Amino acid sequence: MKKRGMLCILILTMASSLFAAGCGGGKDSSSDRKESLELLNVSYDPTREFYAKYNELFCKYWKEKNGEDVTITQSHGGSGAQARSVIEGNEADVVTLALAHDITAIEEAGLIDGGWMDEFESDSSPYTSTIVFLVRKGNEKNIKDWDDLIKKDVEVITPNPKTSGGACWNFLAAWSYWQEKDGNNEAETKESMKRLYENVLVLDSGARGATNTFVENRQGDVLVAWENEAYLSMEEYPGQYEIITPSVSILAQPSVAVVDQNADEHGTKEIAKAYLEYLYSDEAQRLAGENYYRPSNEEILQEFAGQFDLAMNLVTIDDFGGWDEAYKAFFEDGAVFDQIYAQ
Amino acid sequence: MYVEMRNINKTFDGFQASKDVSFGVEKGSLAALLGPSGSGKTTILRMIAGLDEPDSGDILINGERVNHLPGSKRGIGFVFQNYALFRYMTVAENIAFGLKVQKKSKSETKGRVEELLELISMRELGKRYPHQLSGGQKQRVAFARALAPNPQLLLLDEPFAAIDAKVRRELRSWLKEMIGRVGITSIFVTHDQEEAMEVADRIIITNHGRIEQMGTPEEICRHPGTEFVREFIDVERFESMMWRKG
Amino acid sequence: MAERNETMGTTYEKDMVGDGVCSLQKVIPPQKREGNHAVKYVLIGISACFLFVMLVLPLAVVVINALKEGWAVYKENLLDEYTVKAFQLTMLATVVAVAVNTVFGIFASYLLSKFYFRGRQVLAALIDLPFSVSPVIAGLIFILTFGNIGWMGEFLKSHHIKIVFAVPGVILATVFVTLPFVFRELFPVMNAQGKEEEEAAALMGAGGFTIFRRITFPHIKWALLYGMILCTARALGEFGAVSVISGHLRGKTNTLPLHVEILYNEFHTTAAFAVSSILVILAVGILVLRNLVEWKRK
Repeated sequence: MKKRGMLCILILTMASSLFAAGCGGGKDSSSDRKESLELLNVSYDPTREFYAKYNELFCKYWKEKNGEDVTITQSHGGSGAQARSVIEGNEADVVTLALAHDITAIEEAGLIDGGWMDEFESDSSPYTSTIVFLVRKGNEKNIKDWDDLIKKDVEVITPNPKTSGGACWNFLAAWSYWQEKDGNNEAETKESMKRLYENVLVLDSGARGATNTFVENRQGDVLVAWENEAYLSMEEYPGQYEIITPSVSILAQPSVAVVDQNADEHGTKEIAKAYLEYLYSDEAQRLAGENYYRPSNEEILQEFAGQFDLAMNLVTIDDFGGWDEAYKAFFEDGAVFDQIYAQ
Repeated sequence: MYVEMRNINKTFDGFQASKDVSFGVEKGSLAALLGPSGSGKTTILRMIAGLDEPDSGDILINGERVNHLPGSKRGIGFVFQNYALFRYMTVAENIAFGLKVQKKSKSETKGRVEELLELISMRELGKRYPHQLSGGQKQRVAFARALAPNPQLLLLDEPFAAIDAKVRRELRSWLKEMIGRVGITSIFVTHDQEEAMEVADRIIITNHGRIEQMGTPEEICRHPGTEFVREFIDVERFESMMWRKG
Repeated sequence: MAERNETMGTTYEKDMVGDGVCSLQKVIPPQKREGNHAVKYVLIGISACFLFVMLVLPLAVVVINALKEGWAVYKENLLDEYTVKAFQLTMLATVVAVAVNTVFGIFASYLLSKFYFRGRQVLAALIDLPFSVSPVIAGLIFILTFGNIGWMGEFLKSHHIKIVFAVPGVILATVFVTLPFVFRELFPVMNAQGKEEEEAAALMGAGGFTIFRRITFPHIKWALLYGMILCTARALGEFGAVSVISGHLRGKTNTLPLHVEILYNEFHTTAAFAVSSILVILAVGILVLRNLVEWKRK
């Protein structure tokens, strides 16, 4: 009799602690939301600094407009990983991710209503960026273009397209270059891409991780990165790095969307929409520019003509037939990236 | 009969430790369960104490069937083979334990503890801890502790097994004297014939879970009942003792 | 009492007592003994070097880098609101983990050492599971169980219970990875103690709690404390499982180790080291406590 009693107590202890944890959590989410306005912005890696400042701006704006206080919680990580976490239960009110494909994945999980891309201007892409090279001051290996990255003694740092949105843009930019150069010969392009990834020293899971590997850990000769990351690195470590613009690159369009299901549940639909719309305001657009993102607002973009190389030869995702096509062709299991990397 | 076992059977994991065991012990007598190792004697003792439950059969104490009663309600004092003294309590606290559990008053407890310390001739050693005692001393404390709550039945599991030969003989006669003085019904388990012969009023011989023979030491010596008893008991050794006792 | 006998370079002790026992013992000549000293010092030297490189040096680097920009900046980094929130969450998770696992450890080791039942071995092996499972996998298991796509997902969602990507998840992950610590310290002690003392007490009519309080507990006191200290140390430093399950919500679900990673990722290296120094100080404190308890145990 005694041992049965002990077993019961054992199970009861575990169950009650789980229950207590659950209750604590349950209370957390339902009561908190009603008291003060809260927004959760699940974003991708490099936008930490930008959103830290944008959130201040927006809070001020909203206070002036509606007199309400709002607290914005940020979460950052690799774009793909962040999208997955939202699907798995991370209750984001808005997502501001690196590529439309990640948001489509959330849509397919039923959390975002269809047609999200048309909800905001410029295909829900308030700012854009592109892919450039970051090299150490002096550019010892004399890196000028993609071809230099496949030379024998060059060590490349770029993140993993399976988990990082930036890495996908990197891949497509490189692919575009060689397609153009080789006259759309897929076999030769694949060969060049293979040699590129053979030269990759470290394949981080996120864009920021790759930046850290290159900048903090001083690994590799060249970092293939978001333009905004490159500029940020130059700002943090003045005089130590140079930006090299490749001859062909891609217009990287990070997308934003309201996570309808979560926003409805939290009662934050209105403010979530306003939060994303405000990204298109002049102040926000300028803030984006100051943080090295290319504003989608053409006029304001021109204000930063001295900062960005506006004459870059940029392909777009439409040249690949949109993200669905591109992802299926290149990044799904068994697709081109797997084939290249497996060898 | 004060303690009675009727048709007791007990199996542990396919091994039958007790087969149809039946015997009785008179009030105030000192009985020995004697047999080789593994013959089931400790099993019987533990079942009387309520530490193990029989698969079938009845256990009666003072005419009452106690199978369903937990050990603590059977009025039993138990002396374990390895003393099982509470190592984080002093000798006095050990002896007082049973009384504290019964919520006896402080003065009553103190009195009884002193009485028992006197009985076991360890009056000065009340504040010692078990690890500071010799084997013989530990055994005496175990005895006192078992007696403290005034049990009706005293059970001892191979009380002298862990003690060296010389001390054993002394302790043996001391125990017989003490039990006689207190007048409590006692059953003790042993594999040592000399011990059983010398101390017990009545011997119950066990073998392979069965009772081979029951009787006074003289009866067993003079009239060994079964083949096993004949082989097991070294009658010559005891002839002189019987004569001396006679 | 022994006569030394030199025979062919080997020395023997002769039987002088006459009881027929002759100890054949090779008596080691003096120069060999000094050689033993040399070996001893070499081993000590290697150990010291290893400890210095693997332990002392990194800790020194943390402290130096934390204070690189001066004491004022250090204080500022420590009192930053996100750091404070992370510290609070770490403390909460640690306290809950230690409390739950202490209760669990006591019950489980009591059950397994005093009672015999079928499936005893299986239970013991299960308890050791968090040791063999990588913390990251543990985090994933929780997501696959309690997340939206997990098999409990629907149930939790309909009851508005949030576990993953929220504080309960962080606590749960911490409890899981520290599960075996208290148990592992208590079980051998309880097992060796045997159950006779408890049986004796039960026979005299003592109830379950009394038995535990007066007989079991004094015996396991120090082992329990030691287990709790180990549990605390592990909980403080947990990263993998918590990282997977936390969602990295700044100011909400970041523990100190997670916060360090975030600071590092934002190029705030000095701040990262400053926060790390908190963990270092806690670790040193635990080490001191641990040694105290070990010493008291003897």
